[in-house]
Amino acid sequence: MSGAHESDSDTKSAVRDVVPIILAIIPFGMVYGTVAASAQLSLVETIGFSASVYAGASQLAALQLVGIGAPVWSVLVTVFALNFRHVLYSASIGRHLDGFPRPIKALAFFLLVDPTFAAAEARAAKGALTVPYYLVYALLLYVCWLAASALGFVFGSLIEDTSVYGIDFVLPAYFLAMVMTFRSRAAFWPVASASAGASIILYTLVGPPWHVTLGALAGITVAACLPQRTGKSAAAHPADDPAGGGVL
Amino acid sequence: MSDFWLIVVLAGLLTYLTRIGGHLLIKAIGTLPPRLEAALDAVPAAVLTTIFAPVIVSGDWPERIAIVVCGFLALRLPLIATVAIGAGLVALMRAAF
Repeated sequence: MSGAHESDSDTKSAVRDVVPIILAIIPFGMVYGTVAASAQLSLVETIGFSASVYAGASQLAALQLVGIGAPVWSVLVTVFALNFRHVLYSASIGRHLDGFPRPIKALAFFLLVDPTFAAAEARAAKGALTVPYYLVYALLLYVCWLAASALGFVFGSLIEDTSVYGIDFVLPAYFLAMVMTFRSRAAFWPVASASAGASIILYTLVGPPWHVTLGALAGITVAACLPQRTGKSAAAHPADDPAGGGVL
Repeated sequence: MSDFWLIVVLAGLLTYLTRIGGHLLIKAIGTLPPRLEAALDAVPAAVLTTIFAPVIVSGDWPERIAIVVCGFLALRLPLIATVAIGAGLVALMRAAF
């Protein structure tokens, strides 16, 4: 009896915790859907990409690269690199998922996005992270992401000439604003400057998609070579990036 | 566009690999070396920067001006507001020039 009661309150807490996050991600899902429509994707492709990758920044980056005619491998390298932060989340949250049945654990990792990681870590710190809490939170967020993508697509396909409304500028502005949410991280300015400088030079001299792959490598190399901060770990915690933690 | 479904499937698999990979890595080696952790931590900012920075050379004056303005706006405003104002600014400047 008490078990059923606990899972009931876990479900309620999950819903209460996820609703504000859902409200925050809907505009981003819609931005993705709108950009996908203007990139001539079909509705099924738009939702399919959200369903398989489920990571907004990398979905938009992929659209940008597909739009400039970049080869498939370079799109994949970029998506992989952008989503590499999940390795840190996965390493951390995995310790709290040991009690989950195997298939559920596999599903839990599939649904591991920035807000879910933050909420699950917070829940685990307060006590036990349960299956109902994790699944209700993560699945609601996932379903709403797909719905927002679809809604954005419908909206975007109503607009005939997207350049009149500056919709083609949404991507650079989005990525710039997203980068700025990381500015409290260790070595942010050296990393961003190295990547910016390298990507502009490579874009001019070599052209796409090398400005992304090699430009990013320049910034990452700077981060690895700089003297390391001692004490507090530099690991990515969405709680340290308030805005970054709110998006996918 | 059939290439796009290839991207959907492979990008999905690669992303899943990143989501389960940290857990598998920790099971295998214990902890991450600090330099690897610092490098991983820098990846999002490094990659995202390369995507918008070339606007300075590839864009025309409206895009150049707007990206600089957005850089300052992003210090103060929420992400979605910066994006909306940036797009609006570009639309206005295109209409004006």
